[in-house]
Amino acid sequence: MRRAINTAVCLLLLVAAAAASAGEIPSRPEQLKYPDLVFDVPDADALRFELADGTPVYAKRDSQFPLVNITVYFRGGRYLAPAGKEGLAAIAGEVWRTGGAGERTAQQLDEELDFLAAALGTNISEVSGSASLNVLSKDLDEAMALFMDVLTKPRFQEDRFAKAKDDLIQNMKQRNDDTAGIEGREWNRLIYGDDYWMNRLATKASVDDLTAADAKEFVTSLVRSGNIVVAVAGDFEPAAMKAMLEETIGSLEPLAQELPPIPQPAHTPEPGVYVVNKPDVNQGRVSIGQLGYREGYPDEFPLMVGRDILGGYGFTARMMKTIRTDEGLAYSAFAALDFPVTMPGTFRAFYQSKSSTCAYAAEIFFDLLGAVRGDGVTDEELKTSKASFIETFPRAFASANQIVGRFAIDEILGRPHAYWTSYRDKVAAVTAADTKAAMSKGLDPDKMIILVVGNIEEIMQGHPEHEAKLTDFGPIPEMPPHAPTSREPCAE
Amino acid sequence: MSLRRRSITAGLVMMVLLCGLTVIAQEAKVPVRETTLENGMKLLMVERHESPTVAAGWVAHVGSVNEEVGVTGIAHLFEHMMFKGSRTIATTDYPAEAEIMARLDAIRTEMDVEYAAMREAKRRGEITGSIYLPENQTPGLAELREKMKKLQEEQKELTVNNEFEQVYTEAGASGMNAGTMEDGTFYFVTVPANKLELWFWMESERLLNPVFREFYTERDVVREERRMRVESDPTQKYWEQFDFMFWGSLPYHHPVVGWPSDVESISRPAADRFFATYYAPNNITAVLVGDFDPDEALALAKKYFGRIPRGTTEPPDVVTEEIAQLQERRMRAEADTNPSVHIRWHAVPFIHKDAYALDVLDLVLNGRTGRLYKSLVEAERLATGEPYSTFSPQKYGGSLEVGAELADGISHQEVEDSLLAEIELLKTEPVSERELQKVKNQSLADSFRRLQSNFFLLFQLLMYDAFGDWQYLNVSPALIEAVTPEDVQRVAQTYLTDAGRNVLWFSRKGGTAEDPELAALSGQAKAMAKQGLAQINQIDDPAELEQGLQQMKAMKGEAPPEFQPAIDLMITRATERLEMLQAAAGEEE
Repeated sequence: MRRAINTAVCLLLLVAAAAASAGEIPSRPEQLKYPDLVFDVPDADALRFELADGTPVYAKRDSQFPLVNITVYFRGGRYLAPAGKEGLAAIAGEVWRTGGAGERTAQQLDEELDFLAAALGTNISEVSGSASLNVLSKDLDEAMALFMDVLTKPRFQEDRFAKAKDDLIQNMKQRNDDTAGIEGREWNRLIYGDDYWMNRLATKASVDDLTAADAKEFVTSLVRSGNIVVAVAGDFEPAAMKAMLEETIGSLEPLAQELPPIPQPAHTPEPGVYVVNKPDVNQGRVSIGQLGYREGYPDEFPLMVGRDILGGYGFTARMMKTIRTDEGLAYSAFAALDFPVTMPGTFRAFYQSKSSTCAYAAEIFFDLLGAVRGDGVTDEELKTSKASFIETFPRAFASANQIVGRFAIDEILGRPHAYWTSYRDKVAAVTAADTKAAMSKGLDPDKMIILVVGNIEEIMQGHPEHEAKLTDFGPIPEMPPHAPTSREPCAE
Repeated sequence: MSLRRRSITAGLVMMVLLCGLTVIAQEAKVPVRETTLENGMKLLMVERHESPTVAAGWVAHVGSVNEEVGVTGIAHLFEHMMFKGSRTIATTDYPAEAEIMARLDAIRTEMDVEYAAMREAKRRGEITGSIYLPENQTPGLAELREKMKKLQEEQKELTVNNEFEQVYTEAGASGMNAGTMEDGTFYFVTVPANKLELWFWMESERLLNPVFREFYTERDVVREERRMRVESDPTQKYWEQFDFMFWGSLPYHHPVVGWPSDVESISRPAADRFFATYYAPNNITAVLVGDFDPDEALALAKKYFGRIPRGTTEPPDVVTEEIAQLQERRMRAEADTNPSVHIRWHAVPFIHKDAYALDVLDLVLNGRTGRLYKSLVEAERLATGEPYSTFSPQKYGGSLEVGAELADGISHQEVEDSLLAEIELLKTEPVSERELQKVKNQSLADSFRRLQSNFFLLFQLLMYDAFGDWQYLNVSPALIEAVTPEDVQRVAQTYLTDAGRNVLWFSRKGGTAEDPELAALSGQAKAMAKQGLAQINQIDDPAELEQGLQQMKAMKGEAPPEFQPAIDLMITRATERLEMLQAAAGEEE
């Protein structure tokens, strides 16, 4: 009996200890245990159907809120604007929405949409465009009629067209006001060359010559059957939605002729230090990098991980740890590397630092880049970076609208759905050796461009406590600023 | 608009204010479970299972409004320090670090003596510019800085760089950030649904055992942030001064990022005192939105946050009230920007009963079917872009601002007059039923739209809680629906007074590449055109200008080719001005 009691007490003590430890707070976060989390990529094919004319539709119902969202994506964008008509895509994309449609003047259309509280947006970007409608589901039929007018019978009313031209010219005047704007434009010029379509910027002269007829032709030639993909999400009855789409978007005129392919850059960037003087600021903006790669580049995933370890957007990357945390030289210090589907992207490391330490921070960056290429990355860094890519992956599919939008854009650009289903496996397969090899092969400090925008006189002087000077990094070719509205090189 | 001046993820705040203040309809209510822990910490939970994530955050009810003279910027500096780890995180040997940090503080105290002497030297005119510039430092200071640097290097050996972020990143957290405003400091992140406990571990750890390491180097980062956001931005430095002019006694007048002199001088012991007062659990609200079980989350909250002791003293209330403005105030800024006019009035705090009528008034003015666009852009053609109205109610006070960018050839006065005419109309006539209904319809749709994202909903709850009442999210639909045309008229009359105006004019700074057509010229031709245009703009007599114009036309043929574009420009501008003067003379007759 006594023995039995002892056993019971012991058991009780054991259970109590176990309970206490379950309730205890571990001393380090690594000791926490988590349940499994399984996430499957939504099945694109299950969400996809075609209208009678072949128009692809991705639809996902979500009745949480009484809203419905319909987006029509199309191929074609700024690259199609002919030389001399720079600014056409931007203005066409705007006045398409603001210029009235069908039987309604611009002002009547605005009033009706605002009274319905419908958000109707249009946009033409680099290689694609879209028109979207977001409305309370109870008002869908009424709003859809207006949306169809915008899609098929835009008016490009003259006063709104003139207004859009004025606004664009007003914005143009601010081109040299902000160092960030100067940096972005000059970077693209240096990387892709002045002749590349991306760098054919609107000027006052080109905008003055644009007509509403140009814009209307530009839009209506692209919003055609055979050139669009539709995404629908929200509160709707699937059968009724399908029938409505057949009747409306399913009856667009067919595309008249195949679009020309997107031109690829032919320019070879010239390494060097390029400076743009903006004397009245006390902080320089610095970009360092080179032409990058398209999606499908064989080393895409190792390079993506290597870039993240070098200059990822967070505080765990080497650039932030060194340039910001250790040295206090910058608020942000990152490296961007994109792999666009339709043209090569860029590798661009960038930071902003007070004039006197711009050169010193550049020296640090090149040391960091050299180390990643020469010595590679640590296992700990690799583990963190890969885990981050894999664990945050579900956030790319967080809502019905995001899911159908992603698949529709993929189909427009020509990215296979397999990109997503194999994404996590490809990240998981990256090794430290792959990363080092990819960074070494894919990035070349000798080919890099350094762009500096700021008070150049102060920046050239450097800092009394550091030896680095801007002249250490290569020749500094003359680069005059460009007049804001003519884009002609100018003095000052 | 007004929010571009805040030191925070401005886009998000903008989204909250633009959508957030336009609510309606009972159906859009959010089921929020509210609990207060024994130590006074408040917890708000919204359960949703669309995506396997939880948006998690907390707000400390402290911002720049709580700062005293001499330590402005401390709330924001604190936001940075909260990422520096704890006694466990980001260190390999905390006791050794603590010893170094004590020595650093001692050196800093010695440096204060040097700085005080330098401030006096500056007052005597013996030093110019900031006392913190390397060229102004005394030999004594240089020596102390050298010592400090050595110790910082020593400490670096014991520190695990950015380990706090490292733990979150490896766990698949994303969007981790923080923001400081006048009324609150926010910390937020999205974590995978299975790792909510990590959030509790990490956040309770940094509230329980924070270590403000790298304190003296982090201030350099904050100085760079100020250079980026304010000093090297074409207009922000002027907005900062406009804010300072706008607010009288209420401590919204100083910038969130702090005055440069103050940020440099804040010491670590001052930061410790600040933390003890304002980061106590009784001054904090935590919010969770997403895929979790509220009962489990509450148990975790009690386990992790429950161990943090309540503060020994309650955070002091902000007692200073805004002094009434007696007369209109004006500021003219010359900057690298297009010319524009902005008019701002004092309005009401966030929880004020008149805030709903001001929400409606604001919406009536805004958008392409709003009154400002219809009059200033469509009817009168005075403005480019979209004129705006921004109602910004904060915890202790609020403002309403209208503004517009000038169309070419239009004067500031014309735009100001036209903006004020629209305000006057709100005071003299009730808004139409159709306008009111339109605004209410938009509010209904927006009350659903703003609930769609977990993170955005989290952010609204945090922000409304900081402003004084998160229930705004659920009660405002009915209150906005109840606003009448008479209410709108009354609040316009009450708050948008003549004496209460604060007017800011931006003009493009002269002498730089301000005039794009002038900028396209070069060399002597440019110098000539610049001088010529300045002269043309000073002539007010049409006859005199006409004469000058004829002379220019006559002489043009004789000028060398490189001067031709410059002369063309002067002739164009003179012709434009002449037409304008003649038109003005015609009107007077």
